[in-house]
Amino acid sequence: MPENEIQSSRKAKTKNRPKNLNLLTIRLPINALVSILHRATGCALFLVLPIMLLLLQLSLSSVAHFETVVSIFNSPFSKLIMLGFAWAFFHHFFAGVRHLAMDVHWMTTLMKARYTSKIVLVLGVLATLVLAIKLW
Amino acid sequence: MVIELLTKRYPGMRAWLMQRLTALIMAVYSVMLFLRICVLQPDTYAAFLEFFQPTWFRIASWLFWISLSIHAWLGIRDVFKDYVPNMQVRSGLLKILVVLLWVYIAWASWLFLM
Repeated sequence: MPENEIQSSRKAKTKNRPKNLNLLTIRLPINALVSILHRATGCALFLVLPIMLLLLQLSLSSVAHFETVVSIFNSPFSKLIMLGFAWAFFHHFFAGVRHLAMDVHWMTTLMKARYTSKIVLVLGVLATLVLAIKLW
Repeated sequence: MVIELLTKRYPGMRAWLMQRLTALIMAVYSVMLFLRICVLQPDTYAAFLEFFQPTWFRIASWLFWISLSIHAWLGIRDVFKDYVPNMQVRSGLLKILVVLLWVYIAWASWLFLM
């Protein structure tokens, strides 16, 4: 095949390549679910950093501000939001520990990885539930 | 061989190691903080100030924040690398990220060390 023909056929191939970015068509195995949640929760936690610093500063600055922060935490709506971020923290924490374990070649086979994925998901929810019971 | 991987020639390895090291520091701090809250239960302003008073706790919290900043830098940078293909947009976002993290570090340093 002459050079220009090769190039044009290559172009056609690139053009006709399927682009599978439809998230609904991607089947997510449990390890992948833990992985993407690790990333998503990491981003969420990053986004609340200024709020955490602000709340800390307020609660340290004076009695009145401390009481304000306490009353914010006592409203059911903010409790719910806090639980959401608590879950994000717990999931990120446990999934991170799982990563560290795998870094030292622990639980690295597929079956074990699936098993620890389930444990991570359950632990994250369980810790959040315990906190919810404590908060109410 | 292992030491060689940690030199400047392999920045990815250094990033990888830093992500793990900072994760370890934060994990230890988190468990410590959890236990400390459980034991001291600072539910009044005075108790909360006392909770926050010890120098070792302030330094530990500050180290936690530094670790958090490095960890967030590496993590969010990876996210941008994956989802923002346009190099100009990506480098702009990375610059914003750096500024934000430094502002947070300054803020946290003021809270923890002053």
